[in-house]
Amino acid sequence: MIQLKNLSKIFRTELIETHALRSIELQVNEGEFVALTGPSGSGKSTLLNVLGTLEHFDEGDYLLDGQSVKGLTDSALSKLRNEKIGFIFQGFNLIKDYSLQDNIELPLRYRGIAASERKRRAEQALELVGLAARRDYHPSQLSGGQQQRVAIARAIAGQPRILLADEPTGNLDSLMARQVMELLEKINNDGCTILMVTHDPDQARRAGRQVQIVDGQLSDAAMYDPLAVKRA
Amino acid sequence: MEQFLYYLKVSWVSIKRAPLPYALTIFILSLGLGVFFANATFYYQLNSDPLPHKSAKLFFPMTLMVPNECSDCPPPRVLSYSNVQKLSQSDIPSAKAGMYSADGYLRLDTKQAPTPVSIRITQPDFFKMFEVPLLHGSIWADDKARLELILSKQTAVKMFGRSDVVGEKILLDDRFYTVIGVLDDWQMLPRLYDANNRGHLEDADQVYMPLETGYDFNYMSNRQSHTYDYTDYRQLATQGRTGALNQLQFWVQLDTDAQQQAYRQFMSNLVADEKKAGRHPSTPNNQLIPMRTIVTYFGGESADIKAFALVTLLFLGVCLFNASHLSLNRYISNQYEFSLRRALGASRGQLQQQMLADVLLMATFCCIGGLLIAWGGVTLLNFLWPANSLFGRWDLTLLLLLLAITFTMSYLVTLYPSLRASFGGLNQQLKE
Amino acid sequence: MSLHLLIKSLLRRKVVTVLLLVQLAMTLALLVNSLLLAMQTRDKLNEPTGLNLPQTLQVQLKPTTPDLRVYPLLGDLLERQMAAVRALPGVKAVAYANQGPVRQGGNNGNLFDADAQERTNIPDIPQYMVSPDFFAALDLNLVEGQLPVTPIAIDIKTPSPLVLTRSLAEKLFPGRSAVGLKTNRAPVAAVVEDFFGQSEATKVTYNMIQVAPLYGVDWGYALLINTSAGNTEQIRQQLPEVLRKVDANIEVFYVRTLEEQHQQLYRNEFGLATLLGILSGLMLLVAMVSSYSNAHFHALKQQQEIGIKRALGASKQLILLELLSENWLTTFVGASLGVLCALALNKMLATVISLEALNWWLPLLCSAVLLVCVTIATWYPARIATSVSPATATKTL
Repeated sequence: MIQLKNLSKIFRTELIETHALRSIELQVNEGEFVALTGPSGSGKSTLLNVLGTLEHFDEGDYLLDGQSVKGLTDSALSKLRNEKIGFIFQGFNLIKDYSLQDNIELPLRYRGIAASERKRRAEQALELVGLAARRDYHPSQLSGGQQQRVAIARAIAGQPRILLADEPTGNLDSLMARQVMELLEKINNDGCTILMVTHDPDQARRAGRQVQIVDGQLSDAAMYDPLAVKRA
Repeated sequence: MEQFLYYLKVSWVSIKRAPLPYALTIFILSLGLGVFFANATFYYQLNSDPLPHKSAKLFFPMTLMVPNECSDCPPPRVLSYSNVQKLSQSDIPSAKAGMYSADGYLRLDTKQAPTPVSIRITQPDFFKMFEVPLLHGSIWADDKARLELILSKQTAVKMFGRSDVVGEKILLDDRFYTVIGVLDDWQMLPRLYDANNRGHLEDADQVYMPLETGYDFNYMSNRQSHTYDYTDYRQLATQGRTGALNQLQFWVQLDTDAQQQAYRQFMSNLVADEKKAGRHPSTPNNQLIPMRTIVTYFGGESADIKAFALVTLLFLGVCLFNASHLSLNRYISNQYEFSLRRALGASRGQLQQQMLADVLLMATFCCIGGLLIAWGGVTLLNFLWPANSLFGRWDLTLLLLLLAITFTMSYLVTLYPSLRASFGGLNQQLKE
Repeated sequence: MSLHLLIKSLLRRKVVTVLLLVQLAMTLALLVNSLLLAMQTRDKLNEPTGLNLPQTLQVQLKPTTPDLRVYPLLGDLLERQMAAVRALPGVKAVAYANQGPVRQGGNNGNLFDADAQERTNIPDIPQYMVSPDFFAALDLNLVEGQLPVTPIAIDIKTPSPLVLTRSLAEKLFPGRSAVGLKTNRAPVAAVVEDFFGQSEATKVTYNMIQVAPLYGVDWGYALLINTSAGNTEQIRQQLPEVLRKVDANIEVFYVRTLEEQHQQLYRNEFGLATLLGILSGLMLLVAMVSSYSNAHFHALKQQQEIGIKRALGASKQLILLELLSENWLTTFVGASLGVLCALALNKMLATVISLEALNWWLPLLCSAVLLVCVTIATWYPARIATSVSPATATKTL
């Protein structure tokens, strides 16, 4: 589903060049739950951003469902992001002045989905994360864990094929972190491909596969398990 | 003092951090103040009282002593010679003067090209009533006709090259007169004594002639005249004195309420007598207009200045709202700094002092900007409405008024944003 | 894009939104009324006057010596002056008059049907004493009767007959020919087409003319000159010199075309319209500056939100549209309030100056102008905001 070929990302300033990613080769099949691990500053988040088309890359290619994203226009990339990819950020990134319902419906609006259908999906997503009764609440009225669950609801409301999670439990206590992980596992069991950046080895173990990044390069980069099965 | 200087320094640093929004705020507020002030200059001057200690004592009598019957008519704006004679019969006023203005041509001799001048043809009490300053010589001793003129200082200098020309001969419309007095620099603005002729916005006259002399030599008013019978205005010396040819203004000084009451009674009695004699067929309609309200009475207020005043006030309001808006944005940007100061122990009162330093700086810049724009505005108004050009001047009162308004506007622009910045939730603001 | 979310976004910043709405409303109010006054002034300047304004010159002058101001010397002076002017190439006709047309006020009096004074008395009608060529000088067409050709005094037993303008004749003698009928001043000899006399008269087209010597020139007199096309300016330049050569004892107050005289008449209205126009321009500028600054500021504050939306699939165009839509919504609401403000301002201004009521399309036009200006002002900050990298904005790096 996801294929990176010799992909590199370089950050340039006036004085220095930083090779955030170097010649990455990676393949992820549909339905996999991949944990991206590595030390701080190794390029994990950069890799996630490139996978989510939030960042451009400088060399190599990125194929999503067999189609190269190189050279796609901003509109095409936005459409791709909207329809195929869901994001979960460490800082939740909910819009604080919108209600939970409005936050969840936001990506669906960009897809042009009708109001009634949006409402239905948002309610379904809130139901899944156990916050249906608080649809009119604002993010500031919720705890960290609840906010993260709303962020997950927003990510899955559009039924994306891929979910990218950047340290989804980084700001949560252990109980909430466990709840979030359980939710992610459930989503993965339902067929969604998940790539998750994490520092937590326990969480990394819960994923079906681990990929380590050190200094912008995949160590054990060829750790593609051909026997990984698409879970129903 | 040291603390206040510190506040000024902090304000300055804050400005340098984001100079563009600040500059825009100053620009907008200066624009509003400048435009408002330009028009306010004219409005203020046009509505000012040229004789504040005396204007309550000066009155303009009007009466409907005309030969035709006219029901519900207002009295004519000007009086006839015989009207003035009758109204002068009373000793109640402390001073009284009938007058009008005319055009003439002045020169030293027949070889010289004539200089057009405006002549005030008046009885001598005019100078006392309106406190016209005399530089050289004297005023005529009585109301009699005489070949004697009084000149303005500028006219004397223009004709003779000097101001002390008492005793000199001068040719006015081909007759020689003796100069018996020269007035000092004098500009009564607005010239309320000429408001009935809508001449209150113009320059003072250049030459002064006795009333009787003016009539003897058939000087017609250069303002307005109305004839209510068959008087030939070319026969002013004869028919003009007896007929219903109205071209005169008449002013009286009534120092006390009792005098004013008495004079009103006198006018009623006079009109009653005239009616009995069959010379006043119309319903009596006497007026005694106080000087302060004479412009309003004759509808001489500049409608354009009023309209523009309304609109410039609106514009100032818009600029105030705009500047407040920009100021609010600026304060919200600096919210963190405010909150940090509070977290470090600054009280709200100290933050308000900081705000006053901001206001002072803003007021200084806006004052400079506003004055520059106002100057440009006055120049433009003089160009578009030259009739009002004498009133486009500033005095200390006006400038102090501008300062006060600028400070108030700057304060208002800063008030809400600074209150909001100093009263918000600390914790939330520090996180943001 | 959701109207509901846009409104929510505006309500988040109530104070700022209210400030914006008030300033937009006031800007529109002023813009509408300024434009109305400008149109009104333009209409006044374009009103039909019955005269060939650009090609008719008026010289206002006065003899500087008293003996030249009375007959016979005055009569001789007038004849010499007219002869000298007539000799200039391009002059079609020249006449003297006690006053010219297209003025605010001047010499006027009442007129009534001698047989029906109470019913027909009309006050304040401009009274012209002219030389016979007056009608040719002003290019006035004869409607009926015969134009007098000999100047006769107006204050004798059989005074110079009257020539009335058409509308005055119809008012005084409705439904019948005025020629031959008696008035309080003189019998009517002819009727000519209407022309603009005095704006403060009972009606601008009511004028009465008598071919007569000038009664008195204490206020000066006018020479009216009909010029052929292309020669007007040249003749104008020559006139003061030509007249001084005839007799140096004159003061020439001015030489103007009637077009300039017409503009002079409405100088105050023109001045006010100009000032209000400038003020409207300034207000629009201020509104644009404010919109720019507001858009710039809020784009900065909303960076994170924009980044989130971009991450969720909003394209740059969509973000741009959202940001502009917020401004359009504010402008729409502000303009709607502005229409009410415009009506109120119109009523207030009408108490001090002569101003027509608002029509329906002017507020719409001005709202469109305001919308365009606000869009231009907010375009650049909105554009900058859309180029925020979602990764930076959501602080994932």
